[in-house]
Amino acid sequence: MSAQLLLFQLLNGLGIGMIYFLLSVGLTMIFGLMGFVNFAHGAFYLVAAYAAYSVSLLTGSMLWALLLGPLAAGAVALASERLLLRRTYALPHEAQILVTFALSLILQETVILVFDPLSKNVPVPDFLSGIVFLGDFVYPAYRLAVVGVAAAVALAMWLALERTRFGAILRAGSESAEMVSLLGVDVGRVFMAAFALGGALAGLAGALAAPLRGVEPFMGLEALGVAFVVVVVGGIGSFAGALLGGLLIGVVQSVMSSLWPEGARLMIYAAMAFVLLARPAGLLGRA
Amino acid sequence: MEPRFPDPTSLGLLLAVAALPFVLPTVTLASEAVVFATGTLSCSLLLGGVGLLSFGQGLFLGAGAYASGLLLRDAGLGTAAAVLLSTLGAAALAGLVGFISVRRRGVYFVMLTLAFAQMGYFAVLAAGRVTGGENGLTGVPRPSLPGGLALDTPGAVYAVLAVLCLSAFFLAQRVLASPFGSVLAAIRENEARAEALGYGTRAFKVAAFALAGGIAGLAGAMHTLFLGFVPPNTIQLEMSERLIVMAIIGGAGSPAGAFVGALFFVVAAEFLAELWPRWLILIGLLLIAIVLFMPRGIWGAAQELLARRRAAAVPGLAADA
Repeated sequence: MSAQLLLFQLLNGLGIGMIYFLLSVGLTMIFGLMGFVNFAHGAFYLVAAYAAYSVSLLTGSMLWALLLGPLAAGAVALASERLLLRRTYALPHEAQILVTFALSLILQETVILVFDPLSKNVPVPDFLSGIVFLGDFVYPAYRLAVVGVAAAVALAMWLALERTRFGAILRAGSESAEMVSLLGVDVGRVFMAAFALGGALAGLAGALAAPLRGVEPFMGLEALGVAFVVVVVGGIGSFAGALLGGLLIGVVQSVMSSLWPEGARLMIYAAMAFVLLARPAGLLGRA
Repeated sequence: MEPRFPDPTSLGLLLAVAALPFVLPTVTLASEAVVFATGTLSCSLLLGGVGLLSFGQGLFLGAGAYASGLLLRDAGLGTAAAVLLSTLGAAALAGLVGFISVRRRGVYFVMLTLAFAQMGYFAVLAAGRVTGGENGLTGVPRPSLPGGLALDTPGAVYAVLAVLCLSAFFLAQRVLASPFGSVLAAIRENEARAEALGYGTRAFKVAAFALAGGIAGLAGAMHTLFLGFVPPNTIQLEMSERLIVMAIIGGAGSPAGAFVGALFFVVAAEFLAELWPRWLILIGLLLIAIVLFMPRGIWGAAQELLARRRAAAVPGLAADA
């Protein structure tokens, strides 16, 4: 592989990795806070991607699509938490997993019902459709913008976690939700907010990914598998772990796709198995 | 209830398997039911027997399907040898995956089973030259059995599948009733306590995982015999999910529940899919209802109903029920 191609694939990997980070961070946050594994997380990504597709079709503006897609996913996440998932907090993990899995099945089939099972292309926003010159190296503007947007969101999230009252409650809640509740915080509302936020972030990942990969009804399921790999590699419950895991998996997938195209997606799972054997708790996880 | 073998449900299973091709509209549907019942058994055995929820049993079913397809078509093996070898191969693969996965407990374990299932699908795609990739493995023959029984009619195929299915169910019942099964039940109820009693719970879990993987692999080989080719959806994540759904609907508490769940799903698919292609929405709603209100599934609810009736018939016992 030439240095030029390697650089190109590394940058691609950075973009994919940032999308994977956005996809996984809500999953890891909700798990850290409530010990709740959400198998419908990939469905939020799916809903946002289709919302982005519809908005871009109706308004012709991909910018609105990128804005409304995550909102739609956040709204679906909020509604599912209020109407259904709240009832499962007291149940065993297995019951939560099965209920969220059923929810993802319902959302996926609803997407096929409203649209159809075929995959569709989503346009890149007009003003980002060109290429940029980085020295004598050319790169698609949209992919660069994905990295920028995701990095800005990651930074904002980190600041919010470290510097705001809500962030402090989230961090404290992941240590001991019961103690936070005893201190007078309405934990139910925190859970609800975390769910909506996590869903919206997965939605942002879906909306950003839509122009890169198109949309199809089974992308949510595939995203769920990837999100699990990211949190297993990074260490579940860890914000930095989701970032590191996402980037690592993104780069592995991207670099492998020029070395062994058919095996690129296989290799991210191989990477997971390898990390798991060496460090069962993940790279940044607590044992 | 203590698992026993044989128990009344063993006889019930035998009768049900014998009656299926005459009760259901086609023999093909009966074949599909026993194939998926065997696959579902592998989920039920793990969840009901040891308390392990696996979203990855489709990996082993797919591995058994592909292994048997390759052995029958490319290695020229006989039916019996191909079924046996692919069952053992799937069990070995499950032992390996189990060894890595049981290092993590609870939800981590569930996530890992799903990730490994996804890995299996991508491995099949990556090895497209051997597996046929998206097109699957086509033109798998069905060689006659050693006794000279030709597998050239749906009825003959069903007979073989029925015997294999019953063997798996009887084996599962026998294992659950054995001392090994009691240790599994102890792990399910309280793993820390089982460990404190001196049992190497990890080894028991890996062994149970390998056994369940072997049963799923057997279901895969049955699937290949049934269809005569291996579609890639045998190893896709949807397969793992379908097996879990069947297990939960039927009730994972006993092998009989696996049979009931698979039968329900296969028959529902046959009739509902034509009425409304998006019938899986209904299955999703049913799954939520079962988890929230009927956690022991259809079979568990039926057993409860039966027990209540019996208690009502005997005066004095009714108060306890």
